[in-house]
Amino acid sequence: MPGEPVTLTIDDKEVTVPKGTLIIRAAEQVGIEVPRFCDHPYLAPAGACRQCYVQVEGQAKLQTSCTVPVAPGMVVRTQNTSEAARQAQVANLEFLLLNHPLDCPICDRGGECPLQDQALAFGPGESRFIDAKRVFPKPVPLSPLVGLDRERCILCARCTRFCDEISGDRFLELFARSAGERVSIAAGEDFRSPFSGNTIQICPVGALTATPYRFVARPFDLTSGDSVCQHCSAGCNVRVDVRRGEVVRVLARENPDVNDAWICDKGRFAYRHADAPGRITTPLIRDRGLEPASFGEVLPWLAERCRTGRVAFLTGGRLMDEDYYALSKLARTVIRTNDLDHRRAFHGGLAEVVAAAAVTDRERSVTYADIEHAPVILLAGLDAEQEVPILHLRIRKAAAHGAKVFVVHPRRTRLYDVAEHLPTRPGHEVFVLDRIREGVDDGSFEARAAAALRSAGAQGIVLAGERLAEHPLAADLALAIASKIGSRFCYVTRRANDRGALGAGVHPSLLPGGRRFGVAGERAEVEAVWGPIMASEDGRDAQQILQACADRSVDVLFVIGADPLRDHPDAVLARRALANVATLVVQSVELGGLEPFASVFLPAAPAVEKDGHLTDWEGRWQRIRPVRDALGISRPDWEIFAGLAAAMGSDLGFETLEELHEEMASLFVPRVMPERPNVWAGAGAPQWLDDLTLFTYPLLVDEGTLSDRADELKAALEEPAFAEMHPVDAEKRGLVDGVGVRLTTAAGDATVPLRVTDHVAAGSVFVPFNQPGLAANTLLSGRSTASVTVEAVADVESAASAVPDAALATGPPA
Amino acid sequence: MPLLYLAQSVEGSVTREALREIGALLGITTAEVEAVASFYTMFRLRPTGTHVISVCTNLACKLRGAEAVFEAAHEASGVAHGAERSDDGLFTLHEEECLGVCDFAPAVQINFCNHDNLTPERMRELVAGLRAGEVPSPARGPAFDSFKTASRALAGLEEVTSA
Amino acid sequence: MSLRFEPRLTRDWGDPSVIGLEGYVAKGGYQGLSKALAMTDADIVEVVKSSGLRGRGGAGFPAGMKWGFVPRDTGKPTYVVVNFDESEPGTCNNRELVERDPHRLLEGMAIAALAIGCETAYLYVRGEYLWQSIVLERAIAEAYATGHLGPDVQGSGKRVDAVLHRGAGAYICGEETALLNSLEGLRGQPRLRPPFPAVEGLFASPTVINNVETLMNVPDILVRGAEWFRELGTEKSPGTKMVTVSGKVERPGNFEVPLGTPFRSVLEELAGGVLDGRTLKAWTPGGSSTPMLTAEHVDVGLDYESLAEAGSMLGTAAIMVMDDTDCVVDCATRMVRFYAHESCGKCTPCREGSWWATRVLERLEEGQGLAADLPIMHDLGTNLLFRAFCALADGTASVINSSLQHFPDEYEAHVRLGGCPLKVEHLEEVLA
Repeated sequence: MPGEPVTLTIDDKEVTVPKGTLIIRAAEQVGIEVPRFCDHPYLAPAGACRQCYVQVEGQAKLQTSCTVPVAPGMVVRTQNTSEAARQAQVANLEFLLLNHPLDCPICDRGGECPLQDQALAFGPGESRFIDAKRVFPKPVPLSPLVGLDRERCILCARCTRFCDEISGDRFLELFARSAGERVSIAAGEDFRSPFSGNTIQICPVGALTATPYRFVARPFDLTSGDSVCQHCSAGCNVRVDVRRGEVVRVLARENPDVNDAWICDKGRFAYRHADAPGRITTPLIRDRGLEPASFGEVLPWLAERCRTGRVAFLTGGRLMDEDYYALSKLARTVIRTNDLDHRRAFHGGLAEVVAAAAVTDRERSVTYADIEHAPVILLAGLDAEQEVPILHLRIRKAAAHGAKVFVVHPRRTRLYDVAEHLPTRPGHEVFVLDRIREGVDDGSFEARAAAALRSAGAQGIVLAGERLAEHPLAADLALAIASKIGSRFCYVTRRANDRGALGAGVHPSLLPGGRRFGVAGERAEVEAVWGPIMASEDGRDAQQILQACADRSVDVLFVIGADPLRDHPDAVLARRALANVATLVVQSVELGGLEPFASVFLPAAPAVEKDGHLTDWEGRWQRIRPVRDALGISRPDWEIFAGLAAAMGSDLGFETLEELHEEMASLFVPRVMPERPNVWAGAGAPQWLDDLTLFTYPLLVDEGTLSDRADELKAALEEPAFAEMHPVDAEKRGLVDGVGVRLTTAAGDATVPLRVTDHVAAGSVFVPFNQPGLAANTLLSGRSTASVTVEAVADVESAASAVPDAALATGPPA
Repeated sequence: MPLLYLAQSVEGSVTREALREIGALLGITTAEVEAVASFYTMFRLRPTGTHVISVCTNLACKLRGAEAVFEAAHEASGVAHGAERSDDGLFTLHEEECLGVCDFAPAVQINFCNHDNLTPERMRELVAGLRAGEVPSPARGPAFDSFKTASRALAGLEEVTSA
Repeated sequence: MSLRFEPRLTRDWGDPSVIGLEGYVAKGGYQGLSKALAMTDADIVEVVKSSGLRGRGGAGFPAGMKWGFVPRDTGKPTYVVVNFDESEPGTCNNRELVERDPHRLLEGMAIAALAIGCETAYLYVRGEYLWQSIVLERAIAEAYATGHLGPDVQGSGKRVDAVLHRGAGAYICGEETALLNSLEGLRGQPRLRPPFPAVEGLFASPTVINNVETLMNVPDILVRGAEWFRELGTEKSPGTKMVTVSGKVERPGNFEVPLGTPFRSVLEELAGGVLDGRTLKAWTPGGSSTPMLTAEHVDVGLDYESLAEAGSMLGTAAIMVMDDTDCVVDCATRMVRFYAHESCGKCTPCREGSWWATRVLERLEEGQGLAADLPIMHDLGTNLLFRAFCALADGTASVINSSLQHFPDEYEAHVRLGGCPLKVEHLEEVLA
């Protein structure tokens, strides 16, 4: 919240800024740049580099403009109008350059280096230093992603301050003192933080460099485009750099409304998917032995089968809003079915409907700004650090401002140092949430959370992760809490554009804008724009669709930007479904594991080649533009759908993106929201079952297709598969940390090393969803949880890779 | 900080394992521990001799001949210039900054016990005595017979008796 | 100014029994504390303010005023922190004060605690003062045993606890905010101000940090009154000051003198004059961080104002004496090397500037100096003064600026002769 306005003069220019603004920021407002290194708008002032000296009238000593807030009537003179300030800046640059090596010709930072730029603009022309510079071995790998060149470091401490203030992953620290001071990791404790790459971007010199980008390109080699990251629903703004047509780097783009100045390491370092060898840029058709064909050949072939057979659609979460909208319309008006789904296992109930409807309604959305200023935040069913990392950083920011954060989750999250966690067995969240909704007063976690939310009123926030929706009532219960107390509520979906898919109605019972197919009035609103909707009843969800494929009661299955073999929480069913369905259409950037089953491949363009919108978890639309032309004859998905409609003798009603937008705009208008439940029968008390519940969710760095060939990222942050179990359960079964265990569920079994830790709730066993060594969906039967038995395995080998040496992204042991 | 003194009182220096253990104990990263340990001169992170000899060569002591005392210490202890310790592992020797004994300069600390008004000859005597297993009496306070023992006292684990 | 006066801080130095609590009490100890317990916090602050007692650690800031800055309505606890990190080269008076009269420090600390409503006081002792820290620990134990410290001080129902913390070898931890960071278990790097420690200090709570000598003046002020305190010293610098004299003098030592005493009296009457009858060349009035002065200044009074007028500072009143056989460049090199070693590394000018200055000075002293080095040294002196995050660099600048100012020929001689004029053998041959 801005303070009262303060007026001051800088270099004889008058400027008015909110109270509390630093002089250096105020100067920027009137186009005056004061040189600086340690100052960063998103980090607390340090005053370490001493570069930003200005003269303040009435002060005998020069002042660092990055640490002093403005005062009414202050008269400031920068290097432009004060010789003393200018001389001090020159002297300071002389000091900085004293030990700086002449690495510019080989330094990655050259050409985009604040030290180079500022030395040229504000520094001395030549060096008077004739003694020997300090030299060190270089580069020192801090992790497989980040290299440190000590000689170049000017000890501005931006990197260590980022780790301390923003990510909380304090692996980078300053060691020693005086001229021997250095940025370092502790030997054997890698810089294993999912946010490590940000330190590279904020380093004002070439001391921290990205290993994947080392010696790859010069800034003038690159063409760049602004885009939005598609790895999760955080909606981070990025800049994509392309060299000779190949994506070589991704940087964070500043957006204070969304990602501040940060992106996570996955967004930064997993960019090779679009250029992977497996990428296919022409249609393929099996009848011709999966040889390249043209759309002109393939679409009519496909259209024929769609006309005569029963069709269903499964998508992933990374298509654009426009793609989903076109699909939603194609399915209902041309194919005549409601058998389409983008989800895997979570059915969010009313919460989902609310989320779908709120896509256009900013008033009812929860935004990053709301999070940052919230006094109380309750999270349920969400591991933000792993699932929506930049949201995690924003929650940390709120906590740093004094927010009380409560987390209901079966596994401890990386918010552990700033939030209260209640390790809750999967399925039992309902009971916890019910107690919070009731407002119990027994000194428990629930009591504290309830009291805090009450006192926060409309500024409190309840975030429900999509996994909460595993239990049919849980997400709605979270919604009920918010309704009762008056807090803001958000159903947080994980993948880049799950929210957009929801909003567009890629859903068996939802139409665009959260309108329910089963409610006549709402359906009519859509038909007013689309014309008659040919589907006659609610559709089937993903699980049912796959079942129908397995039973051969679906003839044509479209799998669009998805990989059910690995992602659907029932691997056996997925395999049978893909094997049995008569025609499998794979529409994606690559074929991957679906190759043996595909009848047709339609080449879709990846995000870097598309123009359209993504909707982040807030419900915010953000435009992405193509960074390069589409390769081969791959096309945006919506164009392919339009082509298919035409091949079927129909017409989706738009041929250009503008026309599509116009049509979407008419449907995505703020509407009256569906009623929220405020009557609750009570969930009762949990039954403690003797067996264990297996639960799973994807960790940030895994074997997902979008992380293809991100080798350095995986070397730094990917872990081989493991299982986690609470000591109480382990003891009962005679299991110890590090042994290999066999997990057996109704769907199958797997062998992984065991970690015994109190970071998981008793009664539950965690396995990550998609790590090397285990595709967890082979243990599932349609939900992301399953009953499981765990027993030791005599196999010595499996015990080999148990607990890794270095601390995890989830933090060092408590 | 007391934990770091404790670690070196047991192992003779602050080892990598000690850093890790302290981090685990306090719920912080090893880097955070090492950041603190490496800042201060009295925490030794490298292999250290049984006895640590600190010779002040700051101005007041220098004016009274500390440099000669320092040279004598080098010769007598066998610690080469720039080396961490003597080959026999008995001594670590370093130049120190003002020890606060300017009134009895040149000042030396052996295992943080004060020896005042040193001369090169007296320095050689002290080192010879240490080599022979003697514990020299300091000018003030009790003698600590090794760096480890002194570190233990620094960790606050020495018994405090009434004067 | 007469050197005959009633000793205050050193009053009981001839009586080792005061080291123990019984002896201390027998000599009137802990009566100041009793008085303070019967006063309001505000009144305690008032009497110390009226006394004009200035911080003895170097800054000279009025102690009572510092205590008065502490807000009492923040809901947070307040803290007294005793700065026993004494590391300024040439200074060792705190050491001897604590060795000989530890209870007086505890009493002063307890009174300060009462003045600001502090229930837990911290003593930060430099690591190298191991013996002195043990002396304090024993005194603290005695004080607890007899109720002068603890949950019920002298039966008043008020609590004053004392926690002793040892440093580990870092001069910078004598700087207030660096000390606080060190006390909190962090690297001893100074903090940004504002917020000032009085408002947000230890554990982000209002804190007063006082020097040992400052606090040891407090019990007498409570017992004998502010007026009595002002009977010695000068108008603006009342009271007595411990002075350490070291270097080329006959009798190095710690001496108590009324503020304002001319340096000559201290040098000749207390320290026995320059060693071996040689000639005074240069002297630091307040430790190496204060600009050095010359024989020209021998009659300057040792107080804050007079020394400032002479172009230097009182600092810790640690006088190091150099004679005509000492090379100023050599001495300056060693002093600057100290700052380079002790720099915390946080800010550019101190870290790089003191490192560079050391390199240049070493070259000059070894005979590798060039004419271009002199303007570099001048610039370093200018660019280090008031340009750094904290005052450590100002100490470096003091050495460089004052040595250049008073002994420019020595520097030039080093360049011209390719070596130190006082070390070059066969100087006559070189000059010929």
